[in-house]
Amino acid sequence: MKLTAHIKEALLNLSSSKLRSALALLGILVGTASVVAMVSGGQLATNEALKQFKTLGTDLLAVSINDVPNDDQTSHSEESLTLQQVMAVTQTEGQIRDVAPYTQLYNPIQYNGHTLNGAVLGVTENFAKIVHVNVVRGRFISSLDRYSPFCVVGHQLYEQMKAISFVDPLGKQIQVGSDFFTIVGVADAWPDNSFVYANIDSAILVPILASTALSKYAEINNFIVQLVPNANIDMITHHLQQAVQHYVPNKRLYVRSAKELITSMGKQSKILTVFLGLIGSISLIVGGIGVMNIMLVSVVERRREIGIRLAVGARRVDIRSLFLIEAVMLSLVGGISGVVVGIVIEYIIAFLWHWEFMWFFWPPVIGFSVSVAIGIFFGFYPAHQASQLDPIEALRSD
Amino acid sequence: MSALISLENITKTYVTGESEFHALKGVDFQLQSGEMVAIMGSSGSGKSTLMNIMGFLDHCTTGRYCFSGRDVSRLKDDELAAIRNQKVGFVFQSFFLLPRLNALQNVMLPLFYRGEEESSAKLKALNILEKVGVRDFITHKPNQLSGGQQQRVAIARALVGNPEVIFADEPTGSLDSKTSHDVMQLLIDLNQQEQRTIVIITHDKEISFMCPRVVTMKDGCVA
Repeated sequence: MKLTAHIKEALLNLSSSKLRSALALLGILVGTASVVAMVSGGQLATNEALKQFKTLGTDLLAVSINDVPNDDQTSHSEESLTLQQVMAVTQTEGQIRDVAPYTQLYNPIQYNGHTLNGAVLGVTENFAKIVHVNVVRGRFISSLDRYSPFCVVGHQLYEQMKAISFVDPLGKQIQVGSDFFTIVGVADAWPDNSFVYANIDSAILVPILASTALSKYAEINNFIVQLVPNANIDMITHHLQQAVQHYVPNKRLYVRSAKELITSMGKQSKILTVFLGLIGSISLIVGGIGVMNIMLVSVVERRREIGIRLAVGARRVDIRSLFLIEAVMLSLVGGISGVVVGIVIEYIIAFLWHWEFMWFFWPPVIGFSVSVAIGIFFGFYPAHQASQLDPIEALRSD
Repeated sequence: MSALISLENITKTYVTGESEFHALKGVDFQLQSGEMVAIMGSSGSGKSTLMNIMGFLDHCTTGRYCFSGRDVSRLKDDELAAIRNQKVGFVFQSFFLLPRLNALQNVMLPLFYRGEEESSAKLKALNILEKVGVRDFITHKPNQLSGGQQQRVAIARALVGNPEVIFADEPTGSLDSKTSHDVMQLLIDLNQQEQRTIVIITHDKEISFMCPRVVTMKDGCVA
């Protein structure tokens, strides 16, 4: 009961010197807001980065076949996997649902006399499904295409081609080296991700067999594997390694799984979050020092008031409680408003960078609790000082 | 009837570095319940020091202080605070009201520190404010009151806890002669009609003439 009376008393005192109270809690407000905003912002950034991987699904492996480095650096093995071999290797493995091998070439692309920058990707029919390529016009590559000179253009190249000729590129021809490909489809904008080693937006997609006919450098060195859920990745990697060795002895397999990428990103983001939180905490500590400063000044200015209170019967603990509660109230108000401001800043960050805004639980809770703790900690010394005053000395002050 | 306040050979010495200052040098003093006494003396005579000790704002260096028959010479700070709250009321020359609280809140303050319920504290405060004649000003802050009104509020605050003795340190020092007279009359009425024990510290002879008993201090001793 006495506590509520003390709280009322503290509120009365704080509201009667509004400017000073506002200045004191400003430090806590800024500190809490920065903790909340930075930690939330860091989380938003991580979520955005992870989104790319998550849209692909966690059951994918990106397998690439590299040369085993030799001492003389000259041996680039001429052997590479054929499409049949890839299918054979992957079909024996029960946990593999589907596989999309692809080739990459960087031959110059010509359209209507203009040279375009882009890659030539040789793909299979299921590439679109596994890697989420949407065809907005026409059709995708089909397994029936085999060596046929058909292609699908990526979104960016499509825009460039429209700007060149003012005629709809669909159905027109595109030149790769000395070969001509007919455009049968247009792909939608594809969110760039580092899981697939190609930028589809600025590429043309041709049938994989046709690409091997284009150039001897069109080797099937990459394939995306879709697994059953909760597959044993280590075991699969081992099997793939053995199978590939069987066909092409001098090559080494390099396997990346979406799941482990997401996990490692998660770990990195935790470290980042901790760091950001620490930085924010520094500003919160500075805010706490500000509260202590203001409270100390307040104690000095109110010496006579303390003397009067002592004279009418306040005990030392009453004086200490008064100032401590005032400090805690300042921190509470500062903490709450800081959380609100922090969330607003997070919203602004999401708005400016076109990220998805999310409500987080821990940053506001931690920011708020730390601000209250700071208030108690930094308010304690001034409160203690106040309670140690001698009544007669205090009454004599002006 | 044993004395309310009994001081035996009270000394108070302030030590500053190497030198010592003897504010009180062996004071004997007795105060009966219901008395009204003026303690006269020039500045530095020790009268305020004596009041501080009697009013539990300070300890004596040596000597014995009995209050209502209880030896209170060596009490700890918290015990002193409790006695201040329950047994003693103060009135000061500069009124010493809390500037941010209004008259009613100021008068309720001692009861707040007693842990009393707000509603009953408010009732008691209103009664006392009525009695001293400032009922119309209860929502005014001190800076909205005249000197005389402020001192009345201060007297109300001193009375609200029903103390056994009231100490007034130069209560009329900041007031003009007419208001001084009114305030003194109020104190005299309280003493005569309610048998309040009142100790007035003053250097003003006129004030001391209005009190039934006068004790004079000089150089730390009762003259």
